[in-house]
Amino acid sequence: MSTPDTANDRKIVTFSLAKQIFGIDMSALIEIREWDEPTPLPNVPSFIKGVTNLRGNVIPVVGLAERLGWEPSQLHARSCILVVNIMGKQAGFLVDEVNDIVGINVGEIQPAPAVETTLEESVIAGLVRIATRAKDGTRDENGSMVLLLDLNALSLTKHLDLAA
Amino acid sequence: MSDEFDDIQAIFFEECTEGLTTAEEGLSAMQSGDLSGETIAGVFRAIHSIKGGAGAFGHSDLTAFAHKFENVLDEVRAGKIVPTPGVIRVMLSSFDVLSDHVEAAKGNASRPNDGAALSALEQVLANKGVPEGDAPAAAAPAAAAPAPAAPAPAPAMEEEEDEFGFRPVGVSLDDLDGPDESGGWTVRFKPSRAALANAGEPLLTVRELEGLGARVVSVDLSTLPALREIDPEDSYVTWVMQAPAELPESDLSDCFDFVAPDSVIEIKRDSEDVVLPEGAGETEMDGDEIPFVPVTATVDDFMDLGPAPAAPAPEPVPAPAPAPVAAAPEAALAPAAAAAPPAGGGGTPGGPGGGGAGAGGGGPAKPVNEAAQTIRVDLVKLDLLLNLVGELVIRNSILADRLSPADRQRVELPELARLTRQIQDNVMSLRAQPIRQAFSRVPRMLRDLSVETGKQINLETIGETTEVDKGVIEKIGDPLTHMIRNAADHGLESAEERIAAGKDPAGTIKLSAEQKGARIFVRVADNGRGINRERVRAKAVEKGIISADAVLTNEEIDQLICAPGFSTAEKISNISGRGVGMDVVRSNVEALGGRVEIHSVPGEGTTFTMILPLTLAILDGMIVRLAGQRFVLPLTHVLETIQPEPGQVKRTAPDHEVIDMRGEYLPVKRATEIFGLNDDRAIEDSLVVIVESESSGKVGLVVDTIDDRREVVIKSLDQNLHPIRGLGGATILGDGSIALILDIEALVSSPTRFTPKGLAA
Repeated sequence: MSTPDTANDRKIVTFSLAKQIFGIDMSALIEIREWDEPTPLPNVPSFIKGVTNLRGNVIPVVGLAERLGWEPSQLHARSCILVVNIMGKQAGFLVDEVNDIVGINVGEIQPAPAVETTLEESVIAGLVRIATRAKDGTRDENGSMVLLLDLNALSLTKHLDLAA
Repeated sequence: MSDEFDDIQAIFFEECTEGLTTAEEGLSAMQSGDLSGETIAGVFRAIHSIKGGAGAFGHSDLTAFAHKFENVLDEVRAGKIVPTPGVIRVMLSSFDVLSDHVEAAKGNASRPNDGAALSALEQVLANKGVPEGDAPAAAAPAAAAPAPAAPAPAPAMEEEEDEFGFRPVGVSLDDLDGPDESGGWTVRFKPSRAALANAGEPLLTVRELEGLGARVVSVDLSTLPALREIDPEDSYVTWVMQAPAELPESDLSDCFDFVAPDSVIEIKRDSEDVVLPEGAGETEMDGDEIPFVPVTATVDDFMDLGPAPAAPAPEPVPAPAPAPVAAAPEAALAPAAAAAPPAGGGGTPGGPGGGGAGAGGGGPAKPVNEAAQTIRVDLVKLDLLLNLVGELVIRNSILADRLSPADRQRVELPELARLTRQIQDNVMSLRAQPIRQAFSRVPRMLRDLSVETGKQINLETIGETTEVDKGVIEKIGDPLTHMIRNAADHGLESAEERIAAGKDPAGTIKLSAEQKGARIFVRVADNGRGINRERVRAKAVEKGIISADAVLTNEEIDQLICAPGFSTAEKISNISGRGVGMDVVRSNVEALGGRVEIHSVPGEGTTFTMILPLTLAILDGMIVRLAGQRFVLPLTHVLETIQPEPGQVKRTAPDHEVIDMRGEYLPVKRATEIFGLNDDRAIEDSLVVIVESESSGKVGLVVDTIDDRREVVIKSLDQNLHPIRGLGGATILGDGSIALILDIEALVSSPTRFTPKGLAA
């Protein structure tokens, strides 16, 4: 597998969720924080865990697994919150474990197969294969598949703007 | 093109907006009979600057139109065209076209069709007046109008002596700093040897004096030792400077406030040699009797006198001197301004630093005109400041939480809290703007509506100077538009209907704003037909908003027009009737933490009142617990809190309770139920907070406990999320955790009647 260092090279943060590997654009990541029980909100869908205080800003915390339709994450020691910036709005995503920061070549991203998407547009922007580090530090040549998330589709304000 | 160009152009557009506002205010004033030269000149200047800027940026259409407009205004200003109502109407419609031109120049709109407006202006120019010939009826008041607004200091010069015998005298700027003019000041300044060691850099003092218009006449170097003996820490030189005569002595002596002790400072009038002993002049405030008071004093003397160095030194302005004030170029432009200072100077020439006496020298501490006292600040910077102050407030309460009461006093925490609070208030006041900004687009809108509906509409505006937080102003624009449109389209009848009802054929919409406590009331009142309650009711039943057998009070029926999807207009017009209008008003206002009240009298009109918080940033709240979780209950709604006795709360239906409050039965609501929180606490273990809301009157709200009462900084939820019904936002408590702010209005207003909106999909 080539490790291109062209201008196309993009950095993504990979994390595991429901035994899958997901990735988001590094540039959207604000910080990674430890899980801290957020303040619950009434009358919101169950995937919104509540709100938390990020240096004076009130940001929503989303259970990403539920949001994507998987089984809710079980909290454990490595559970953490990815704080991301989606079109100027901040949100925290609960993930099972942050894995790595890897560079990918934009040209190698494959479009997400048109699965029978349910009610909303797909939140998967594409698929890409990355080389993964095995436990002993050697490279696993087969690599693994990363599901790239389309953060804009995950915006918490978007489809709710229509409702309001 | 470059960013820089865009930036400059952005400034131009900003100035255009301001210019248009000024022009519109002026034109409206003219329309209501204010035909003073000042008003007309104000409009002229505004249009003129728009034209100038537009030319510089190559907006030729805008320039051409503004030019024609300006020509007419110029003639009006010069008294050649009489501003009759007809002429003013032409100018108002030209103004609308001009606004469209500005929008087109911004790229927000296509070029307006200005043919009609241009030819109307042409006609006014050609006929030297009213197009349709309803000539000199209004000529009389206009006669006073053509007061020269162009620079004309001459009239001031020719004015009669005032009661003190002073004549205003024009003095050119050149004369002002003429150092050889008799009666100037001579300042001798010999810093103490130790000045430099004490951080008393003499150069700064000299520069400050120069800034006042003084000149260094000579420097005494005789005390300068040979080079090798010079101690760089020592100061050896003496300066002799001359300062303009009309500077008040206090300005000069102020320069020496911070020089080292033991410095020698002499300030004298050139023509006099009198040395006034310290303190001798304390009672001599009348400058006419001792016109020249030179003072020689060491810094120590100044120190003893405290802030009084100016006091023993009566204003040494000789009789003709007040006039130099008039030489300040800006002042000379307006005859009125030029005439005023001499009168003031005659009365109390002794007021040190008063009467703008320092203006001639351009003393930095005394701005010459008002314009110099305001600065334009990017709103983002203000918001950042506000956020930081908010953080400061939070940190302050964190500190208070962590310190014991004794420690709080020891570290002067209350003092710190007081200061923080003051800073917060001040920053908030920086954001306060007159509500005029939101009102300014209404006249234009009504003119358009008047054309579209064929109704004659008069506008009355009251309280436009009421100051409101900038954020509120920005957000009431849409609701206001809907309310005005609604009033014009539904509220007011057609002229025929009005005549048939024995009313003035022209309808009136009254727009008003007033502040009451921490709330601002914005009213849109029409004198139209009022709400037809039967029709509203029928329509609501038809649309399934209420059931056919619902029993509603008049107020509740009125509220229905704010229900989503409601519109009674027989035909959907361009203006309103799509069933979104009043719903938008209500939800926008509620999102701001406000509410809408409707008051209607059939046949007499309808009043819509938006009741809004004065600020969107701070709230006085009660920290309560619901199912263990902390919430903030806005104190403005709280009437009292009670611990219910057994049997005081009674059930009237399986899901409905009332509380007996001294014989009055009030409905009881459980926020925990509305929010779907688990709570099996017995009512006797809970507290009931009696809250009052506009829509539902008094209601008892069940809470677990009350923790605290404090001011909280509101953080909006929809900044990163979306509005949640029943919540007005969130705040960060002293321990850094988040508490949600309850929206009482939404909580207690029956959540079953209207489909709850804003619930996450």
